[in-house]
Amino acid sequence: MAITRHRGIKISGIVNVIPELSEDNLQLTIINEEERAKLVEHTGIRYRRISLLPVKNLFEKGIKEAIDLTGWTYDDIDVLICVTQTPELSIPSIACQLHGDLGFKQKTICYDINSGCSGYVYGFHTVASILASISKDKTRALLCCGDVSTHLLSPEDTSTRPIFSDAVSVTAIEYNVNDSNITARFNLETMGNGQSAIYTELNAQNNRIMRLNGIDVFAYSVKYVPQNIETLIQSAEMPNEMPSIYVFHQANKLINDAISRKLKLTSDMVPHTLETYGNTASASIPITLCTRLNEMNNWVLLSGFGVGFSVASVLINISNFVPHKTIEI
Amino acid sequence: MSLPLYEIETFLNFTSSELSISKKSISLETCFRDIPSWSSLNALIYISRINEETNVLITSGDLSELNSLNDIYRLINERKHGNN
Repeated sequence: MAITRHRGIKISGIVNVIPELSEDNLQLTIINEEERAKLVEHTGIRYRRISLLPVKNLFEKGIKEAIDLTGWTYDDIDVLICVTQTPELSIPSIACQLHGDLGFKQKTICYDINSGCSGYVYGFHTVASILASISKDKTRALLCCGDVSTHLLSPEDTSTRPIFSDAVSVTAIEYNVNDSNITARFNLETMGNGQSAIYTELNAQNNRIMRLNGIDVFAYSVKYVPQNIETLIQSAEMPNEMPSIYVFHQANKLINDAISRKLKLTSDMVPHTLETYGNTASASIPITLCTRLNEMNNWVLLSGFGVGFSVASVLINISNFVPHKTIEI
Repeated sequence: MSLPLYEIETFLNFTSSELSISKKSISLETCFRDIPSWSSLNALIYISRINEETNVLITSGDLSELNSLNDIYRLINERKHGNN
């Protein structure tokens, strides 16, 4: 485990970009009617979003909206990080492509992170660490997270197709050296022996296809996520840092309910967006966080887990007003 | 533990209910892969329900080494008694 703590970091805005085109699991023809109903009941996923655009275009839309939402300028951005596993081009990084296309300044630190369902928290940790290391009193970053996972799916795969969905989210993050309060604590872990739980392989046409071993994802999630979170909360050792809301990566209802049960959480403490948006990989935490942002004035627990196998949680103080927006394209 | 799955009758009733198969059609000797409703989705639901009732986790690696319902029943009991 790697526990870290960070001072003076805060979320200043969130923009979610969600494809309008959707697919209904109750209309899926690759399974029979009885299985469809059972699938929706147990995974919690009714609709999944399909993007016809590459992930870079979704990030671009989100960045423009985030700049508009926060009132920041491109000159203000010290760090631009894109977290994705579905770039259309692997070289150059999407962050560098967007840097050129949108007119960021030469001083802006840009790179991509290859991470899936734990990627929002891993990306947040990276951003928090870089922002605090820059020789300025106040620094700003845009963290872009998400995938077009449906581009990796086999239409006949009954394990992956009913689960994965496309969306991205852009989070504006600020650091202030004069704020000496600890505002974020992370617990980041990797269990590489679980690498075959979710992976891609090449099909006969040389296309990457994502494969999922649902039983192993369940086993790794239920075994490691609750203990990761409990360790993080214990490390805080401050009763006033107990989170009132837990935002989990939206894997599926079976997994998320099992984690909540182990942590003895009540349903009002655990928002979910599975029914409408499905499993949107590293975008699922900010998308779900936004459903409860208006009522937050204290500590919240965010936890991402999945491909790797990777688990990352952050206890973050959200006592400031956070403008946010969810747009469909 | 909500259901005493360490009791054979309870385990078979549980399995019958979770896998939507009549109790008369299964016994401990039944190969779980031969149960008509056994699919990737139903297997996941079954494994998650075992975890909910017993706190025992079963992986795909475990399942690949098991054949009969008795194998699952024994694994649950071994793990429930701290042998995993």
